[in-house]
Amino acid sequence: MIEVVDLTRTFRGAGGLFAQNDVQALRKVSLKVERGAALGLIGESGCGKTTLGRIVCGLETFDGGDVLIDNQSVKTLGDRARRKVFRKVQLIHQDPYSALNPTRDIAHALIDPLRIQARLTRRDSTWVKQRAVELLSLVGLDPQETLYKFPHQLSGGQRQRVVIARALTVEPEALIADEAVSMIDVSLRLGVLHLLATLRRELNLAIVLITHDVAAARYVAHDGELAVIYKGEIVEKGKTDSIISAPVHPYTQALLSAVPVLRGLEVDGPDRYIPEPEVQVQGAEPAGCLFSTRCVFADDHCRGHHPDLSRWGDGDRLMACFKPQERQVVAVAVDDAMEA
Amino acid sequence: MKSAPLRVPLSDSEIEVSIRGLSVSYQTSTGLYDAIHDLSLAIHRGSITAIIGESGSGKSTLAMAMLNSVTFPGKIRTGAIDYADVGDITGLNAESLRRFRGEHAAMVFQASQDTLNPLKRVGAQLLDMARSHGLRDRKAILREGSLLAERMSLPASRVMAAYQHELSGGMRQRVSMIFALALKPRVVLLDEPTTALDVLSQSHVLQIVRAIHEERHLTTLLITHDMGVVAELSDRVVVMYAGRIMEDAPSRDLLRAPRHPYAKALIRAIPRLTGPLDRAQALPGAPLELRQIPVVGCVFRDRCTLRQSICDEVTPTLREVAPDHRTACHLEVEA
Repeated sequence: MIEVVDLTRTFRGAGGLFAQNDVQALRKVSLKVERGAALGLIGESGCGKTTLGRIVCGLETFDGGDVLIDNQSVKTLGDRARRKVFRKVQLIHQDPYSALNPTRDIAHALIDPLRIQARLTRRDSTWVKQRAVELLSLVGLDPQETLYKFPHQLSGGQRQRVVIARALTVEPEALIADEAVSMIDVSLRLGVLHLLATLRRELNLAIVLITHDVAAARYVAHDGELAVIYKGEIVEKGKTDSIISAPVHPYTQALLSAVPVLRGLEVDGPDRYIPEPEVQVQGAEPAGCLFSTRCVFADDHCRGHHPDLSRWGDGDRLMACFKPQERQVVAVAVDDAMEA
Repeated sequence: MKSAPLRVPLSDSEIEVSIRGLSVSYQTSTGLYDAIHDLSLAIHRGSITAIIGESGSGKSTLAMAMLNSVTFPGKIRTGAIDYADVGDITGLNAESLRRFRGEHAAMVFQASQDTLNPLKRVGAQLLDMARSHGLRDRKAILREGSLLAERMSLPASRVMAAYQHELSGGMRQRVSMIFALALKPRVVLLDEPTTALDVLSQSHVLQIVRAIHEERHLTTLLITHDMGVVAELSDRVVVMYAGRIMEDAPSRDLLRAPRHPYAKALIRAIPRLTGPLDRAQALPGAPLELRQIPVVGCVFRDRCTLRQSICDEVTPTLREVAPDHRTACHLEVEA
């Protein structure tokens, strides 16, 4: 459904005290997600995952490679055709507090895009109201209670549900959820993640979950794929559960090791290691592996040569590391052991 | 790692902050509502105590009250907050209070970028703080700031010369910790210190907080809604809901054997990396708004799966269910 091929995007550097060189937000990223499938894009702040999400929604340009939506390249499309194609891919923002107009009630937030949709699909105005009610029920809100409320009267979780309902007004085929739960209370996150998983199943939507929270990605894409991005480059990709239980790339291992261990409920994974803090490097980037400046396993070869994505094991795992080794870094639940 | 949970009753000398019968209320057009209701809590010297709860549970209001910084329309209605060697701060005059904040107790705010002046370099703001606290040797604060910056793996000279927009989120969070620590307070309050950070920065900031807490013999209070942060950092955890304490226990005990249905539900709601997916269950309903909080009975009953008639009629009080483990629930919930 969505395919990106060798996608590259470079932002021109800013001046100022910490004058920066050009930032390569994406370096030859290739990914594919089919209808009804789920993909988790994980990486830390600034790794390019948000840029990637914005590009596949048509909100950001790219300088190299291509984006294909339903096998159609978006490069050659005119404005009108472009709008039509990108209507199939809707973005859920991180911040539900700023994604809704505070001066308009929820009914308006849904009815405006629904009117456009009604005109495009030649439906009448009774459909608009009825559809707004349907969509609110679909995202797990009580329509009668929610319709005439204003955003400030809703909790973070409810607001994000409204944003999801609004994205569904144009009947998309894919949702790109960019840190969609990171600003919501932990207690309510699971409800929103569960909703995304349900919509994926019931509406046959493709879901791309962009996040630094691997557990959240697992919840929506447990039977899908994870792609780990570091400095605009995919360093590891494969089946979600296999990446979590046996990550090969040291950066994936660092991300997974950094997840807090619920001591009392869980014990540290046997190979867990505390990742190196980000090193502030000025000037040129390393010639070799981009992660070599922070990697605890890096040697001179890593610093001098750039690893390409290659196959690992007999599954469909891809990784870019000269010293690949499976390590079990995630915490192990003791629940079962305790009960036994 | 810190030593095992304290099992012996504490003498007064081991308590750094003692909150007694604290109520903080907000005046609204429809009446006076308690954001914190009759809350009592002793914070042990040298401990890291986490206050956990959802949005609107009153945890940030509690932190503000602990610096006597609740602003209109909020007000500390009743109660006392005693700091060791200072006394009840609800009675302090404006000047003593100003000195108390920063020199005795300091806070790191959630949105750290909003607490830094965008028009001044970090170093200049540190000097401002030295001036307002009447330090004779103002250069000393820059030395202290640089020392702290290096301790937090920040390039000291660059950070001191930087404006806040030139720093990344993780760096800004560490800079606001420098501000909180520069006057060498004994008590540090951290309000959601890692909420805006990604998982690697969070892990790093938590390591720094733990290390500095131990090096400087601080008493640290951590406000958070993330049980992972609690597990990683705190010795003790206080679970709040609707302005009341639901459970208060050593962190490991609470994670392993929560008693209150709310604490159980909070822990169950954490998405996990291993095990069956349905091990995590969403917490039904939404947190109460201020004006919805019932006056009589258990405040959690609307979201509780074990609700009984007594929960509507009688307000549960905190009682000891295990050594050093208190909960406010009528039911004999097994651990």
